[in-house]
Amino acid sequence: MRASVWLRKPRCWLLVLGLAALLCGPGILAAGMMKVTQANQSMYGEPNFSGTPIAPVPSGTEVNVVTISGDWYQVEYQGNKGWMHRQAFAQVQAPTPSLPGMLFGGGVQQTKSDEVALAGKGFTPEVEASYRQKNPGANYAQVDQVESFQVDSAKLQAFIKEGGLKP
Amino acid sequence: MRRLILFGVCLAAALGLIWGCAGMDYTSVATIALKTAPKVAAASREINDSEEYYVGRAVAARILGTSRLATDQQLTLYVNEVGQTVARKSTRPNTFKGYNFAVLDTTEVNAFACPGGIIFVTKGMVQTCASEDELAAVLAHEVAHVANKDGINSISKARWTEVLTTIGTETAKQYAGPGGQLVTLFEGSIDDVFKTIVVNGYSRGAEEAADTQAITTLRNAGYDPGALASLLNKMMAKGETGAGIFKTHPPTADRLAKVKATAPAGTPDKMEEVRTKRFKSVKL
Repeated sequence: MRASVWLRKPRCWLLVLGLAALLCGPGILAAGMMKVTQANQSMYGEPNFSGTPIAPVPSGTEVNVVTISGDWYQVEYQGNKGWMHRQAFAQVQAPTPSLPGMLFGGGVQQTKSDEVALAGKGFTPEVEASYRQKNPGANYAQVDQVESFQVDSAKLQAFIKEGGLKP
Repeated sequence: MRRLILFGVCLAAALGLIWGCAGMDYTSVATIALKTAPKVAAASREINDSEEYYVGRAVAARILGTSRLATDQQLTLYVNEVGQTVARKSTRPNTFKGYNFAVLDTTEVNAFACPGGIIFVTKGMVQTCASEDELAAVLAHEVAHVANKDGINSISKARWTEVLTTIGTETAKQYAGPGGQLVTLFEGSIDDVFKTIVVNGYSRGAEEAADTQAITTLRNAGYDPGALASLLNKMMAKGETGAGIFKTHPPTADRLAKVKATAPAGTPDKMEEVRTKRFKSVKL
């Protein structure tokens, strides 16, 4: 009886709603549009790093999060659906001061997933940029020229047909 | 009532603390150092397609640092059309950024497959071919090297293990600069691949596997599978050694015999003649 009287008061409802928001906060925040905060991120066909990335997703891009499965978010980006690791959306946070940190020289942030540490790094555009800076003789301008040469799909089909080849 | 509100506030604060700490795990540097090695071992992985792509671009940039691209757009388009026709029928029709074919402006007879899908063929090689089917055989062979990852697999295991160890550390970003460890390892990887595809050549096993795959690709694309035997025969007859494709693709008698046994050179059919006609119409 006393509890029901207590629940009729608006201030108490606010308290209950506040607690509910605290408990459900992460789920609510994760749904909908999210901004990629980390550089060199990619969208994968499956929720793991072992597959081939579908497309690179630049830092600052907003993607639509459809579902969440553990550490992986299923997202929609440029009309494609794929998976991105939660680390891609990580917020930069200042370390919280702690007593052991103050006593033993401060803490170092450690990532949760072993895979994250390895898959987001490796031979990336950043490494290529440094390599180019170090090796000015490497002719990347002509590599870009080679990559920019595309065969029109309709023309290729006509070429195949004209040569009696298999479509 | 006040007690109840106070209890609620304390509960909210406690939950906030737990939640706030859940995403962060602060521990000493010594603890992380102890944990790093098993982490790297646990998360060991093969080089992925995007990394293969960046290695391939660097190898191509190195080749183009000393060799010039042919400027003939008609020839480049034609080689790309033949190349794309065989690539789509290969065992790996899609790479990270697709296949691209280019002609090097040199009379040297050679062809190179950079990891990820950039394929070079020299003008000298195109001139050695007598037909579109023979050119398709060269390109199908190179596509097979990309599909089999023969280039990227020439990065030494020890070097790749070192790459994983480097990127497994918490301060990997520090290693990505021009003087960093990761860039040094990237350079070493480029050297490994360059030595294999340009200087020393692939193993005989890799060459034979690429031959077999090229024959299947030619057949699947509608080209004459015997065109590879016909081309290798011609190259052997030329008898040049020590440079060009003879160094990177030694057409030994054994290799030629195997290719002939799988797909002997045949008589050209009507459509092959049509293709040869358009091959000859491309100015070299």
